[in-house]
Amino acid sequence: MSCEVLVLYFAKSAELADVRSEHISVAQRTTSEQLWEEIVSRHPRLAALRNHVLLAVRQEYIAIGDQLLLLQPGDEVAIIPPISGG
Amino acid sequence: MFAAVDTKHQDLLIQNLENILNKIKQNKTPLINESFQQFLNTKNGYLVSSLVSEFLEFFSLGFTLAVFQPGTGTQVHGPDRGNLAQDLGIVENENTRDGPLLLEVMKRCQNSNSREDGSSDSSLPVLHNLVTELPLLEAKTSLSNEAILRYSRQLVLPELGVKGQLNLSKSSVLIVGCGGLGCPLAQYLAAAGIGRLGLLDYDVVEINNLHRQVLHGENRQGIPKSLSAATALKQLNSGVEYICYNLILTPKIALELIQQYDIIADCSDNVPTRYLVNDACVLTGKPLVSASALRMEGQLTVYNYHGSPCYRCLFPVPPPAETVTNCSDGGVLGVVPGIMGCLQALEVLKIASGLGTSFGQFMLMFDALEGRFRNIRLRPKNQNCAVCGANPTIRVLQDYEAFCGSSASDKCRTLHLLSKEERISAQEYKKILDEQVPHLLVDVRPPVEVDICHLPHSIYITLDKLERKNLDCLNHLNRKLLEGKQITDEEMSFPVYVICKLGNDSQKAVKILQELSGKELGVLLAKDITGGLMAWSNKVDPTFPQY
Repeated sequence: MSCEVLVLYFAKSAELADVRSEHISVAQRTTSEQLWEEIVSRHPRLAALRNHVLLAVRQEYIAIGDQLLLLQPGDEVAIIPPISGG
Repeated sequence: MFAAVDTKHQDLLIQNLENILNKIKQNKTPLINESFQQFLNTKNGYLVSSLVSEFLEFFSLGFTLAVFQPGTGTQVHGPDRGNLAQDLGIVENENTRDGPLLLEVMKRCQNSNSREDGSSDSSLPVLHNLVTELPLLEAKTSLSNEAILRYSRQLVLPELGVKGQLNLSKSSVLIVGCGGLGCPLAQYLAAAGIGRLGLLDYDVVEINNLHRQVLHGENRQGIPKSLSAATALKQLNSGVEYICYNLILTPKIALELIQQYDIIADCSDNVPTRYLVNDACVLTGKPLVSASALRMEGQLTVYNYHGSPCYRCLFPVPPPAETVTNCSDGGVLGVVPGIMGCLQALEVLKIASGLGTSFGQFMLMFDALEGRFRNIRLRPKNQNCAVCGANPTIRVLQDYEAFCGSSASDKCRTLHLLSKEERISAQEYKKILDEQVPHLLVDVRPPVEVDICHLPHSIYITLDKLERKNLDCLNHLNRKLLEGKQITDEEMSFPVYVICKLGNDSQKAVKILQELSGKELGVLLAKDITGGLMAWSNKVDPTFPQY
């Protein structure tokens, strides 16, 4: 079963993906690692940011790893690199 | 000349003049010494002596100048007042004509002093170039009538009240970075009556800071930011103690400095400083109210406070230096750090007054373009964190510049990718233009920067598109190469010069063009222009804008 989620790209990830948000179709039951890999497969340049971003699902931090996610249609996935300007 | 003078006065004067005449006759000491003569030969010396002449003439005492007129070449009747006023930039009106020009000069000094200082208390904030031990902040047990009146609008808030206000007055806050975040943060903390504000910045005020760093001003360009900020803050609230640190936060001083404050606010502009401040806060047990802003986005989190994670719990490894964008490269809309700095002030005030924070386990994300705030629930403290975990490996501060592979400033670093032979100077490029040597000039900056300024004969291909080997761009470049080769020897490698703002991206572009030469592109000889368009402005065409 797959479902459509909304991926939001912030800061450097928006620049590298060249898009600020998009709907993608992903497996409803997936690990956070698989979700990240799915996003990177669409935007290979994001690979450079692995270990340097927050991944948030439904506005909640998710460690990229084997954590199992149960996604619902319309869920918000956010890619949040830290920004350091001031 | 002696309109209202009495005889006695005249006699005294004549006696004085006779004494002077006798001295001149005896000629024991030279009347016109060398240093006086040298001084008069300078522009300022000339202006000063003209001001003195004008002063004496204004009161009809010009004749007294006769003493040093011979031999110095100074005129008894100096330059006319109109010219002198113009030289000094004084615009004359009815009021100025009532007095000598010296009076106007003095008024200007007084005005600029009051602008600089503002408060009736004329003592300027003290600038510290090293960390010193501060005396303990005195805990007040009650509010003065003056404080009650000043803070009345917040005192009546049940959430704050007298207790909260007293808590603020005995709190000290260190602000790391007096820029786009630090300015509004410091302003609200000072206004609210925090006890002591440490203001740290290594930089001086520049004109391109002013769109976001709103405590500084045009008349304080070149002044250390910490001092400039304190000068403005003193005008707002002279009851707060301001400690200015004109220094870079280094691992050597960070612990000693940070342990002297109750709350630390990270308003810095670079990655190494963020890790340094984080580790120092963990090691000293201080809450860290951290905000950042870039382009149209902002982030805010309170780290290391009542069990909340630290910066390293979330970002254990710094991002590769080449993926970090700073404000001078990426740009920032001034109000965005303004908003984040205000939110940061709010959290500092909540912690200092005893209300606690709302962002211990949340990251506030501000999307200025969409006008949306999102609160991302964060992970709890990472038990494996290198600095705040159960078995920390970091027990002393590290070399953060090495750790992050970048410098502790937001200044653009200078890349050295190309050899000397692969680069030309702005002046050499000017010569190529003047001699009409056939070539292509490729400007690799983003369109938004090209709109600000560009050289008229450039073709535009962004570095980003070159990196991606964008087909349209390569075709465009090939067409231009073919056109160029029609007027030169077709066998020859056609010269292509690459330019950007500062000469970093242009080096990357040359590397790519070298790879493509003779393959995807016709044979070309690529070089970049050292220092880019800013060097062009500095060395060749001063009318070309700087940004």
